[in-house]
Amino acid sequence: MGTDPFDLLFAPFALPFMGRALAVMLVLAVAAGVVGVLVNLRGLEFTTDGLVHAVFPGIAIGFALGGTPGLFVGAVVAAVVGAVLLTVAVRAAVASDSGVAIVLTGMFSIGVLAVSRQSDYSGQLESLLFGRILTITAGEVTQTLVIAVLALALVLATLKEQVFRAFDPTGSAAAGYRPIVLDLVLNVAIALVVVAASSAVGNLLVLAVLIVPAAIARLLTGRLILLFPIAAATAALAAWLGLSASFAASVSTGVSLPSGATVVAALVVGYLIALALRALRGRRGTVAA
Amino acid sequence: MSSALRISGGAFGYGHAPALVGVDIDVEPGQAVALIGPNGAGKSTLLKGVLGLVPLLAGTMDILDRPRAQADRSSLGYLPQADDLDPEFPVSLEQVVLMGRYRSMGWLRGPRRADRAAVATALETVGLASRARARFGTLSGGQQQRGLLARAIAANPRLLLLDEPFNGLDQTNRDALIETLQALKERGVAILVSTHDLELARLVCDRVLLLNGSQVAFGDRDAVLTLENVQRTFREVQVELDQHTFVTPGHDGH
Repeated sequence: MGTDPFDLLFAPFALPFMGRALAVMLVLAVAAGVVGVLVNLRGLEFTTDGLVHAVFPGIAIGFALGGTPGLFVGAVVAAVVGAVLLTVAVRAAVASDSGVAIVLTGMFSIGVLAVSRQSDYSGQLESLLFGRILTITAGEVTQTLVIAVLALALVLATLKEQVFRAFDPTGSAAAGYRPIVLDLVLNVAIALVVVAASSAVGNLLVLAVLIVPAAIARLLTGRLILLFPIAAATAALAAWLGLSASFAASVSTGVSLPSGATVVAALVVGYLIALALRALRGRRGTVAA
Repeated sequence: MSSALRISGGAFGYGHAPALVGVDIDVEPGQAVALIGPNGAGKSTLLKGVLGLVPLLAGTMDILDRPRAQADRSSLGYLPQADDLDPEFPVSLEQVVLMGRYRSMGWLRGPRRADRAAVATALETVGLASRARARFGTLSGGQQQRGLLARAIAANPRLLLLDEPFNGLDQTNRDALIETLQALKERGVAILVSTHDLELARLVCDRVLLLNGSQVAFGDRDAVLTLENVQRTFREVQVELDQHTFVTPGHDGH
Protein backbone atom coordinates (compact mmCIF):
# COMPACT_ATOMS: atom_id res chain seq x y z
CA MET A 1 0.00 0.00 0.00
CA GLY A 2 1.59 3.27 -1.12
CA THR A 3 0.92 6.86 -0.18
CA ASP A 4 -0.69 7.62 -3.53
CA PRO A 5 -4.00 9.41 -2.69
CA PHE A 6 -5.78 7.10 -5.11
CA ASP A 7 -4.57 4.09 -3.15
CA LEU A 8 -5.54 5.68 0.16
CA LEU A 9 -9.07 6.55 -0.95
CA PHE A 10 -10.05 3.70 -3.26
CA ALA A 11 -7.84 0.64 -2.86
CA PRO A 12 -8.96 -0.33 0.69
CA PHE A 13 -12.53 -0.86 -0.46
CA ALA A 14 -11.48 -3.69 -2.79
CA LEU A 15 -11.19 -5.77 0.38
CA PRO A 16 -14.56 -7.46 1.02
CA PHE A 17 -14.89 -6.30 4.65
CA MET A 18 -14.01 -2.72 3.73
CA GLY A 19 -16.37 -2.80 0.73
CA ARG A 20 -19.22 -3.98 2.96
CA ALA A 21 -18.43 -1.30 5.51
CA LEU A 22 -18.51 1.41 2.85
CA ALA A 23 -21.77 0.11 1.33
CA VAL A 24 -23.46 0.13 4.75
CA MET A 25 -22.15 3.59 5.60
CA LEU A 26 -23.26 5.09 2.28
CA VAL A 27 -26.82 3.77 2.67
CA LEU A 28 -26.89 5.03 6.26
CA ALA A 29 -25.57 8.40 5.13
CA VAL A 30 -28.49 8.93 2.79
CA ALA A 31 -31.12 7.77 5.32
CA ALA A 32 -29.61 9.62 8.28
CA GLY A 33 -28.97 12.73 6.21
CA VAL A 34 -32.56 13.02 4.98
CA VAL A 35 -34.22 12.04 8.29
CA GLY A 36 -31.72 14.25 10.13
CA VAL A 37 -32.84 17.34 8.20
CA LEU A 38 -36.34 16.87 9.61
CA VAL A 39 -34.91 16.33 13.11
CA ASN A 40 -33.12 19.65 12.67
CA LEU A 41 -36.14 21.53 11.28
CA ARG A 42 -38.39 20.20 14.04
CA GLY A 43 -35.79 20.73 16.78
CA LEU A 44 -36.19 17.08 17.81
CA GLU A 45 -32.59 16.55 18.98
CA PHE A 46 -33.66 15.66 22.51
CA THR A 47 -36.34 13.23 21.33
CA THR A 48 -33.77 11.67 19.03
CA ASP A 49 -31.37 11.24 21.93
CA GLY A 50 -34.27 9.62 23.77
CA LEU A 51 -34.87 7.16 20.96
CA VAL A 52 -31.18 6.29 20.86
CA HIS A 53 -31.32 5.38 24.56
CA ALA A 54 -34.61 3.53 24.15
CA VAL A 55 -33.22 1.33 21.41
CA PHE A 56 -30.19 0.27 23.46
CA PRO A 57 -31.94 -2.17 25.84
CA GLY A 58 -33.66 -3.70 22.80
CA ILE A 59 -30.31 -4.31 21.16
CA ALA A 60 -28.80 -5.64 24.38
CA ILE A 61 -31.68 -7.94 25.32
CA GLY A 62 -32.06 -9.13 21.72
CA PHE A 63 -28.35 -9.89 21.65
CA ALA A 64 -28.44 -11.64 25.04
CA LEU A 65 -31.36 -13.84 23.97
CA GLY A 66 -30.56 -14.51 20.33
CA GLY A 67 -26.98 -13.45 19.59
CA THR A 68 -26.32 -11.26 16.57
CA PRO A 69 -29.54 -12.26 14.72
CA GLY A 70 -31.56 -11.39 17.83
CA LEU A 71 -29.91 -7.99 18.00
CA PHE A 72 -31.81 -6.60 15.03
CA VAL A 73 -35.14 -8.05 16.12
CA GLY A 74 -34.75 -6.62 19.62
CA ALA A 75 -33.67 -3.28 18.25
CA VAL A 76 -36.63 -2.97 15.87
CA VAL A 77 -39.10 -3.91 18.62
CA ALA A 78 -37.54 -1.41 21.03
CA ALA A 79 -37.44 1.26 18.32
CA VAL A 80 -41.14 1.00 17.51
CA VAL A 81 -42.22 0.78 21.16
CA GLY A 82 -39.92 3.65 22.12
CA ALA A 83 -41.16 5.82 19.22
CA VAL A 84 -44.83 5.25 20.09
CA LEU A 85 -44.32 5.86 23.83
CA LEU A 86 -42.28 8.99 23.27
CA THR A 87 -44.76 10.40 20.74
CA VAL A 88 -47.67 9.85 23.10
CA ALA A 89 -45.79 11.15 26.15
CA VAL A 90 -44.60 14.32 24.46
CA ARG A 91 -48.04 14.95 22.94
CA ALA A 92 -49.90 14.42 26.21
CA ALA A 93 -47.28 16.66 27.82
CA VAL A 94 -47.16 14.21 30.72
CA ALA A 95 -43.43 13.90 30.38
CA SER A 96 -41.22 16.73 31.57
CA ASP A 97 -37.62 16.85 30.36
CA SER A 98 -36.44 15.34 33.63
CA GLY A 99 -39.12 12.63 33.39
CA VAL A 100 -37.92 11.71 29.90
CA ALA A 101 -34.32 11.74 31.12
CA ILE A 102 -35.12 9.41 34.04
CA VAL A 103 -36.92 6.92 31.82
CA LEU A 104 -34.11 7.01 29.26
CA THR A 105 -31.23 6.48 31.65
CA GLY A 106 -33.33 3.75 33.27
CA MET A 107 -33.75 2.03 29.90
CA PHE A 108 -30.05 2.42 29.22
CA SER A 109 -29.09 0.76 32.50
CA ILE A 110 -31.47 -2.13 31.76
CA GLY A 111 -29.51 -2.55 28.53
CA VAL A 112 -26.18 -2.55 30.34
CA LEU A 113 -27.49 -5.09 32.88
CA ALA A 114 -28.67 -7.34 30.03
CA VAL A 115 -25.26 -7.23 28.40
CA SER A 116 -23.49 -7.85 31.72
CA ARG A 117 -24.98 -11.37 31.80
CA GLN A 118 -22.86 -12.17 28.73
CA SER A 119 -19.51 -13.93 28.99
CA ASP A 120 -17.38 -11.37 27.15
CA TYR A 121 -19.06 -8.45 28.89
CA SER A 122 -16.78 -5.53 28.13
CA GLY A 123 -16.04 -6.64 24.57
CA GLN A 124 -19.75 -7.00 23.74
CA LEU A 125 -20.67 -3.74 25.41
CA GLU A 126 -17.96 -1.93 23.53
CA SER A 127 -19.10 -3.20 20.16
CA LEU A 128 -22.73 -2.29 20.94
CA LEU A 129 -21.82 1.19 22.10
CA PHE A 130 -19.14 2.03 19.57
CA GLY A 131 -20.00 -0.17 16.58
CA ARG A 132 -18.13 -2.88 14.77
CA ILE A 133 -18.52 -1.96 11.16
CA LEU A 134 -15.44 -3.86 10.02
CA THR A 135 -16.80 -7.21 11.17
CA ILE A 136 -20.29 -6.73 9.78
CA THR A 137 -21.61 -9.76 7.87
CA ALA A 138 -23.28 -9.90 4.45
CA GLY A 139 -26.57 -10.76 6.19
CA GLU A 140 -26.30 -7.67 8.38
CA VAL A 141 -25.64 -5.55 5.30
CA THR A 142 -29.02 -6.67 3.93
CA GLN A 143 -30.78 -6.01 7.25
CA THR A 144 -29.28 -2.54 7.53
CA LEU A 145 -30.23 -1.80 3.94
CA VAL A 146 -33.86 -2.87 4.42
CA ILE A 147 -34.29 -0.88 7.64
CA ALA A 148 -32.61 2.25 6.28
CA VAL A 149 -34.71 2.16 3.12
CA LEU A 150 -37.86 1.71 5.21
CA ALA A 151 -36.98 4.77 7.31
CA LEU A 152 -36.26 6.77 4.18
CA ALA A 153 -39.55 5.70 2.58
CA LEU A 154 -41.57 6.75 5.66
CA VAL A 155 -40.06 10.21 5.58
CA LEU A 156 -40.15 10.72 1.80
CA ALA A 157 -43.82 9.67 1.65
CA THR A 158 -44.76 12.41 4.13
CA LEU A 159 -42.04 14.92 3.29
CA LYS A 160 -44.08 17.98 2.31
CA GLU A 161 -46.50 17.45 5.18
CA GLN A 162 -43.58 17.03 7.65
CA VAL A 163 -41.99 20.28 6.45
CA PHE A 164 -45.36 22.05 6.74
CA ARG A 165 -45.72 20.85 10.33
CA ALA A 166 -42.13 21.85 11.15
CA PHE A 167 -42.65 25.36 9.76
CA ASP A 168 -46.14 26.05 11.10
CA PRO A 169 -47.62 23.46 13.49
CA THR A 170 -50.87 25.37 13.97
CA GLY A 171 -51.35 26.00 10.26
CA SER A 172 -50.67 22.35 9.49
CA ALA A 173 -53.19 21.14 12.07
CA ALA A 174 -55.70 23.72 10.82
CA ALA A 175 -55.31 22.31 7.31
CA GLY A 176 -56.47 18.99 8.72
CA TYR A 177 -53.18 17.13 9.19
CA ARG A 178 -53.29 15.17 12.43
CA PRO A 179 -50.12 16.01 14.39
CA ILE A 180 -49.96 12.64 16.12
CA VAL A 181 -49.90 10.77 12.81
CA LEU A 182 -47.07 12.88 11.39
CA ASP A 183 -45.13 12.66 14.67
CA LEU A 184 -45.49 8.89 14.86
CA VAL A 185 -44.25 8.44 11.30
CA LEU A 186 -41.26 10.71 11.91
CA ASN A 187 -40.33 9.19 15.28
CA VAL A 188 -40.54 5.65 13.92
CA ALA A 189 -38.32 6.71 10.99
CA ILE A 190 -35.78 8.23 13.40
CA ALA A 191 -35.84 5.09 15.54
CA LEU A 192 -35.30 2.89 12.46
CA VAL A 193 -32.26 4.94 11.45
CA VAL A 194 -30.94 4.48 14.98
CA VAL A 195 -31.40 0.72 14.61
CA ALA A 196 -29.78 0.63 11.19
CA ALA A 197 -26.80 2.67 12.35
CA SER A 198 -26.27 0.99 15.71
CA SER A 199 -24.23 -1.97 14.50
CA ALA A 200 -22.19 0.26 12.19
CA VAL A 201 -21.26 3.30 14.25
CA GLY A 202 -22.53 2.10 17.61
CA ASN A 203 -25.36 3.25 19.82
CA LEU A 204 -23.46 6.15 21.37
CA LEU A 205 -22.36 7.67 18.07
CA VAL A 206 -25.65 7.33 16.17
CA LEU A 207 -26.76 10.74 17.37
CA ALA A 208 -23.87 12.38 15.50
CA VAL A 209 -24.82 10.72 12.21
CA LEU A 210 -28.40 11.96 12.56
CA ILE A 211 -27.64 15.48 13.71
CA VAL A 212 -24.32 16.69 12.32
CA PRO A 213 -24.95 16.32 8.54
CA ALA A 214 -28.21 18.31 8.80
CA ALA A 215 -26.47 20.96 10.91
CA ILE A 216 -23.77 21.26 8.22
CA ALA A 217 -26.43 21.60 5.52
CA ARG A 218 -28.20 24.34 7.50
CA LEU A 219 -24.90 26.26 7.62
CA LEU A 220 -24.32 25.92 3.89
CA THR A 221 -27.73 26.73 2.42
CA GLY A 222 -30.96 28.55 3.19
CA ARG A 223 -32.82 26.64 0.48
CA LEU A 224 -35.04 23.81 1.55
CA ILE A 225 -34.59 21.50 -1.44
CA LEU A 226 -30.80 21.70 -1.18
CA LEU A 227 -30.76 20.72 2.51
CA PHE A 228 -31.58 17.06 1.86
CA PRO A 229 -28.94 16.31 -0.83
CA ILE A 230 -26.28 18.34 1.02
CA ALA A 231 -26.89 16.50 4.29
CA ALA A 232 -26.84 13.10 2.58
CA ALA A 233 -23.73 13.94 0.54
CA THR A 234 -21.86 15.31 3.57
CA ALA A 235 -22.62 12.19 5.57
CA ALA A 236 -21.51 9.98 2.66
CA LEU A 237 -18.28 11.93 2.22
CA ALA A 238 -17.50 11.74 5.94
CA ALA A 239 -18.16 7.99 5.89
CA TRP A 240 -15.79 7.46 2.99
CA LEU A 241 -13.00 9.69 4.37
CA GLY A 242 -13.43 8.33 7.89
CA LEU A 243 -13.21 4.71 6.78
CA SER A 244 -10.16 5.46 4.56
CA ALA A 245 -8.39 7.28 7.37
CA SER A 246 -9.08 4.54 9.87
CA PHE A 247 -7.82 1.92 7.41
CA ALA A 248 -4.70 3.89 6.45
CA ALA A 249 -3.82 4.52 10.08
CA SER A 250 -4.03 0.88 11.05
CA VAL A 251 -2.24 -0.45 7.95
CA SER A 252 0.60 2.04 7.57
CA THR A 253 1.24 3.17 11.14
CA GLY A 254 -0.22 0.30 13.12
CA VAL A 255 -2.41 2.70 15.09
CA SER A 256 -5.85 1.17 15.48
CA LEU A 257 -8.55 3.80 14.98
CA PRO A 258 -12.13 2.63 15.60
CA SER A 259 -13.95 3.21 12.31
CA GLY A 260 -17.26 4.49 13.73
CA ALA A 261 -15.51 7.13 15.80
CA THR A 262 -13.29 8.12 12.84
CA VAL A 263 -16.39 8.68 10.70
CA VAL A 264 -17.95 10.85 13.42
CA ALA A 265 -14.68 12.78 13.77
CA ALA A 266 -14.76 13.41 10.00
CA LEU A 267 -18.30 14.75 10.39
CA VAL A 268 -17.27 17.12 13.15
CA VAL A 269 -14.34 18.38 11.04
CA GLY A 270 -16.86 18.93 8.23
CA TYR A 271 -19.01 20.94 10.60
CA LEU A 272 -16.06 23.15 11.56
CA ILE A 273 -15.22 23.70 7.88
CA ALA A 274 -18.86 24.64 7.20
CA LEU A 275 -18.76 27.10 10.11
CA ALA A 276 -15.60 28.67 8.69
CA LEU A 277 -17.10 28.86 5.19
CA ARG A 278 -20.18 30.57 6.53
CA ALA A 279 -18.13 33.05 8.53
CA LEU A 280 -16.05 33.86 5.42
CA ARG A 281 -19.16 34.28 3.29
CA GLY A 282 -20.70 36.50 5.94
CA ARG A 283 -17.63 38.73 5.99
CA ARG A 284 -17.49 38.97 2.21
CA GLY A 285 -21.18 39.83 2.30
CA THR A 286 -20.64 42.74 4.66
CA VAL A 287 -17.66 43.99 2.62
CA ALA A 288 -19.77 43.91 -0.54
CA ALA A 289 -22.64 45.68 1.16
CA MET B 1 -80.62 29.16 1.85
CA SER B 2 -76.92 28.57 1.81
CA SER B 3 -74.86 29.36 4.86
CA ALA B 4 -71.10 29.57 5.32
CA LEU B 5 -71.16 29.04 9.07
CA ARG B 6 -74.01 28.43 11.49
CA ILE B 7 -73.40 27.89 15.21
CA SER B 8 -76.23 27.37 17.72
CA GLY B 9 -75.62 27.42 21.45
CA GLY B 10 -71.93 26.78 20.79
CA ALA B 11 -69.42 26.35 23.63
CA PHE B 12 -65.72 25.86 22.89
CA GLY B 13 -62.77 24.92 25.05
CA TYR B 14 -61.20 22.04 26.93
CA GLY B 15 -62.64 20.06 29.83
CA HIS B 16 -64.96 21.56 32.41
CA ALA B 17 -64.27 25.23 31.84
CA PRO B 18 -65.20 26.33 28.30
CA ALA B 19 -63.26 29.36 27.10
CA LEU B 20 -66.26 30.59 25.15
CA VAL B 21 -69.99 29.93 25.57
CA GLY B 22 -73.33 30.94 24.10
CA VAL B 23 -72.29 31.43 20.50
CA ASP B 24 -75.27 31.85 18.13
CA ILE B 25 -74.24 33.08 14.72
CA ASP B 26 -75.18 32.62 11.09
CA VAL B 27 -72.79 33.84 8.40
CA GLU B 28 -73.74 33.97 4.72
CA PRO B 29 -71.36 33.66 1.78
CA GLY B 30 -69.80 37.00 0.91
CA GLN B 31 -70.26 38.36 4.42
CA ALA B 32 -67.41 39.47 6.65
CA VAL B 33 -67.76 39.25 10.41
CA ALA B 34 -65.48 41.12 12.81
CA LEU B 35 -64.76 39.29 16.09
CA ILE B 36 -64.18 41.97 18.69
CA GLY B 37 -63.38 41.62 22.36
CA PRO B 38 -60.64 42.02 24.95
CA ASN B 39 -57.67 39.64 25.19
CA GLY B 40 -58.81 36.23 26.34
CA ALA B 41 -62.38 36.89 25.19
CA GLY B 42 -62.38 33.75 23.04
CA LYS B 43 -61.71 35.21 19.59
CA SER B 44 -58.90 32.80 18.73
CA THR B 45 -60.79 29.99 20.47
CA LEU B 46 -63.77 30.51 18.15
CA LEU B 47 -61.57 30.50 15.04
CA LYS B 48 -59.78 27.36 16.21
CA GLY B 49 -63.10 25.82 17.15
CA VAL B 50 -64.36 26.26 13.58
CA LEU B 51 -61.13 24.64 12.34
CA GLY B 52 -61.61 21.70 14.71
CA LEU B 53 -58.47 22.54 16.71
CA VAL B 54 -60.45 23.34 19.87
CA PRO B 55 -63.35 20.99 20.75
CA LEU B 56 -66.99 22.04 20.51
CA LEU B 57 -68.30 21.21 24.00
CA ALA B 58 -71.99 22.04 23.48
CA GLY B 59 -74.34 23.13 20.72
CA THR B 60 -74.18 22.49 17.00
CA MET B 61 -72.03 23.83 14.20
CA ASP B 62 -72.61 23.59 10.45
CA ILE B 63 -69.76 24.56 8.17
CA LEU B 64 -70.61 25.35 4.54
CA ASP B 65 -74.00 23.66 4.92
CA ARG B 66 -72.60 20.46 6.35
CA PRO B 67 -72.47 19.22 9.94
CA ARG B 68 -68.96 19.85 11.27
CA ALA B 69 -67.99 16.16 11.24
CA GLN B 70 -68.49 16.08 7.46
CA ALA B 71 -67.16 19.58 6.80
CA ASP B 72 -65.10 20.04 3.66
CA ARG B 73 -61.92 21.22 5.33
CA SER B 74 -60.12 21.96 2.08
CA SER B 75 -62.63 24.82 1.65
CA LEU B 76 -61.44 26.52 4.84
CA GLY B 77 -58.64 29.05 4.79
CA TYR B 78 -56.82 30.08 7.97
CA LEU B 79 -54.44 32.90 8.69
CA PRO B 80 -52.66 32.31 12.02
CA GLN B 81 -50.78 35.02 13.87
CA ALA B 82 -47.37 35.20 12.22
CA ASP B 83 -45.39 35.97 15.39
CA ASP B 84 -44.55 32.41 16.37
CA LEU B 85 -42.97 31.37 13.05
CA ASP B 86 -39.21 30.77 13.02
CA PRO B 87 -37.60 33.51 10.87
CA GLU B 88 -34.60 31.23 10.19
CA PHE B 89 -36.71 28.45 8.69
CA PRO B 90 -35.29 27.69 5.24
CA VAL B 91 -38.43 28.08 3.17
CA SER B 92 -39.30 30.55 0.40
CA LEU B 93 -42.46 32.65 0.24
CA GLU B 94 -43.55 30.61 -2.78
CA GLN B 95 -43.15 27.36 -0.84
CA VAL B 96 -45.16 28.75 2.06
CA VAL B 97 -48.02 29.71 -0.27
CA LEU B 98 -47.87 26.28 -1.90
CA MET B 99 -48.63 24.76 1.54
CA GLY B 100 -52.15 26.11 1.03
CA ARG B 101 -52.50 23.64 -1.85
CA TYR B 102 -51.23 20.53 -0.01
CA ARG B 103 -54.72 19.33 0.94
CA SER B 104 -55.95 19.37 -2.63
CA MET B 105 -52.65 17.98 -3.96
CA GLY B 106 -52.92 14.93 -1.73
CA TRP B 107 -50.24 12.72 -0.15
CA LEU B 108 -47.27 11.64 -2.25
CA ARG B 109 -48.03 14.21 -4.95
CA GLY B 110 -45.96 17.14 -6.05
CA PRO B 111 -47.42 20.40 -7.36
CA ARG B 112 -49.10 20.34 -10.76
CA ARG B 113 -49.68 23.19 -13.18
CA ALA B 114 -52.95 24.21 -11.49
CA ASP B 115 -51.20 24.38 -8.10
CA ARG B 116 -48.42 26.60 -9.43
CA ALA B 117 -50.99 28.84 -11.12
CA ALA B 118 -52.99 29.17 -7.88
CA VAL B 119 -49.81 30.13 -6.01
CA ALA B 120 -48.92 32.77 -8.61
CA THR B 121 -52.45 34.21 -8.56
CA ALA B 122 -52.54 34.34 -4.76
CA LEU B 123 -49.17 36.12 -4.66
CA GLU B 124 -50.40 38.67 -7.19
CA THR B 125 -53.59 39.20 -5.20
CA VAL B 126 -51.61 40.20 -2.10
CA GLY B 127 -49.08 42.18 -4.15
CA LEU B 128 -46.04 40.02 -3.44
CA ALA B 129 -45.42 38.36 -6.82
CA SER B 130 -41.96 39.94 -7.05
CA ARG B 131 -40.88 38.42 -3.72
CA ALA B 132 -41.88 34.83 -4.55
CA ARG B 133 -38.34 33.43 -4.22
CA ALA B 134 -37.37 35.37 -1.10
CA ARG B 135 -36.85 33.41 2.10
CA PHE B 136 -39.98 33.84 4.17
CA GLY B 137 -38.07 35.00 7.24
CA THR B 138 -36.41 37.87 5.37
CA LEU B 139 -39.79 39.51 4.62
CA SER B 140 -41.09 42.29 6.84
CA GLY B 141 -43.79 41.47 9.39
CA GLY B 142 -46.48 42.95 7.16
CA GLN B 143 -45.26 41.05 4.13
CA GLN B 144 -45.19 37.79 6.12
CA GLN B 145 -48.78 38.45 7.13
CA ARG B 146 -49.74 39.00 3.49
CA GLY B 147 -47.79 35.89 2.51
CA LEU B 148 -49.80 33.82 4.98
CA LEU B 149 -52.98 35.37 3.58
CA ALA B 150 -51.81 34.30 0.10
CA ARG B 151 -51.41 30.76 1.48
CA ALA B 152 -54.98 30.86 2.79
CA ILE B 153 -56.25 32.24 -0.55
CA ALA B 154 -54.35 29.66 -2.61
CA ALA B 155 -56.58 26.97 -1.12
CA ASN B 156 -59.57 28.67 -2.84
CA PRO B 157 -61.44 28.81 0.47
CA ARG B 158 -65.15 29.52 0.76
CA LEU B 159 -64.74 30.39 4.43
CA LEU B 160 -61.69 32.37 5.50
CA LEU B 161 -60.63 32.67 9.16
CA LEU B 162 -58.17 35.44 10.04
CA ASP B 163 -56.56 35.80 13.47
CA GLU B 164 -55.47 39.41 14.14
CA PRO B 165 -54.25 39.99 10.57
CA PHE B 166 -53.77 43.73 11.10
CA ASN B 167 -51.47 43.63 14.11
CA GLY B 168 -48.36 45.64 13.49
CA LEU B 169 -49.15 46.47 9.87
CA ASP B 170 -48.06 49.77 8.37
CA GLN B 171 -50.53 51.82 6.33
CA THR B 172 -49.42 50.37 2.95
CA ASN B 173 -49.79 46.77 4.08
CA ARG B 174 -53.04 47.56 5.83
CA ASP B 175 -54.55 49.11 2.69
CA ALA B 176 -53.37 46.16 0.58
CA LEU B 177 -54.99 43.72 3.01
CA ILE B 178 -58.30 45.63 3.10
CA GLU B 179 -58.40 45.68 -0.70
CA THR B 180 -57.76 41.93 -0.85
CA LEU B 181 -60.49 41.18 1.66
CA GLN B 182 -62.99 43.31 -0.29
CA ALA B 183 -62.18 41.41 -3.48
CA LEU B 184 -62.63 38.05 -1.72
CA LYS B 185 -66.01 39.10 -0.34
CA GLU B 186 -67.15 40.05 -3.83
CA ARG B 187 -66.25 36.52 -4.96
CA GLY B 188 -68.59 35.14 -2.31
CA VAL B 189 -65.99 34.16 0.28
CA ALA B 190 -67.26 34.41 3.86
CA ILE B 191 -64.73 35.92 6.27
CA LEU B 192 -64.33 35.77 10.04
CA VAL B 193 -61.67 38.18 11.26
CA SER B 194 -60.59 38.75 14.83
CA THR B 195 -59.31 42.25 15.44
CA HIS B 196 -58.73 44.97 17.99
CA ASP B 197 -59.20 47.51 15.26
CA LEU B 198 -62.73 48.97 15.31
CA GLU B 199 -61.87 51.17 12.34
CA LEU B 200 -61.06 48.09 10.32
CA ALA B 201 -64.32 46.48 11.34
CA ARG B 202 -66.11 49.51 9.88
CA LEU B 203 -64.16 49.34 6.61
CA VAL B 204 -64.37 45.64 5.81
CA CYS B 205 -67.05 43.97 7.87
CA ASP B 206 -70.82 43.90 7.43
CA ARG B 207 -71.44 42.18 10.70
CA VAL B 208 -69.89 42.24 14.14
CA LEU B 209 -69.64 39.61 16.87
CA LEU B 210 -68.80 41.00 20.30
CA LEU B 211 -67.22 38.46 22.65
CA ASN B 212 -66.20 38.41 26.27
CA GLY B 213 -66.04 34.77 27.28
CA SER B 214 -69.56 34.55 25.96
CA GLN B 215 -71.40 36.19 23.09
CA VAL B 216 -72.31 39.78 23.98
CA ALA B 217 -73.96 40.70 20.69
CA PHE B 218 -74.08 39.62 17.06
CA GLY B 219 -75.64 41.34 14.08
CA ASP B 220 -75.31 44.13 11.56
CA ARG B 221 -72.30 46.28 12.23
CA ASP B 222 -74.01 49.57 12.99
CA ALA B 223 -76.71 47.99 15.11
CA VAL B 224 -74.16 46.08 17.24
CA LEU B 225 -71.41 48.65 17.64
CA THR B 226 -73.26 50.77 20.19
CA LEU B 227 -71.57 52.42 23.13
CA GLU B 228 -73.51 50.24 25.55
CA ASN B 229 -72.51 46.99 23.80
CA VAL B 230 -68.87 48.00 23.58
CA GLN B 231 -68.87 48.86 27.30
CA ARG B 232 -70.41 45.51 28.12
CA THR B 233 -67.71 43.82 26.03
CA PHE B 234 -64.72 45.64 27.46
CA ARG B 235 -65.79 45.51 31.07
CA GLU B 236 -62.36 45.93 32.50
CA VAL B 237 -60.64 49.02 31.25
CA GLN B 238 -56.94 49.46 31.85
CA VAL B 239 -55.87 53.00 32.69
CA GLU B 240 -52.27 54.15 32.95
CA LEU B 241 -51.61 57.13 35.20
CA ASP B 242 -48.26 58.35 36.51
CA GLN B 243 -46.63 54.97 35.65
CA HIS B 244 -49.26 53.11 37.65
CA THR B 245 -51.76 50.83 36.00
CA PHE B 246 -55.34 50.81 37.28
CA VAL B 247 -57.97 48.37 36.20
CA THR B 248 -61.57 49.40 36.61
CA PRO B 249 -63.61 46.60 38.22
CA GLY B 250 -66.06 44.64 36.09
CA HIS B 251 -69.81 44.90 36.64
CA ASP B 252 -70.08 41.39 38.00
CA GLY B 253 -67.02 41.48 40.19
CA HIS B 254 -64.45 39.90 37.83
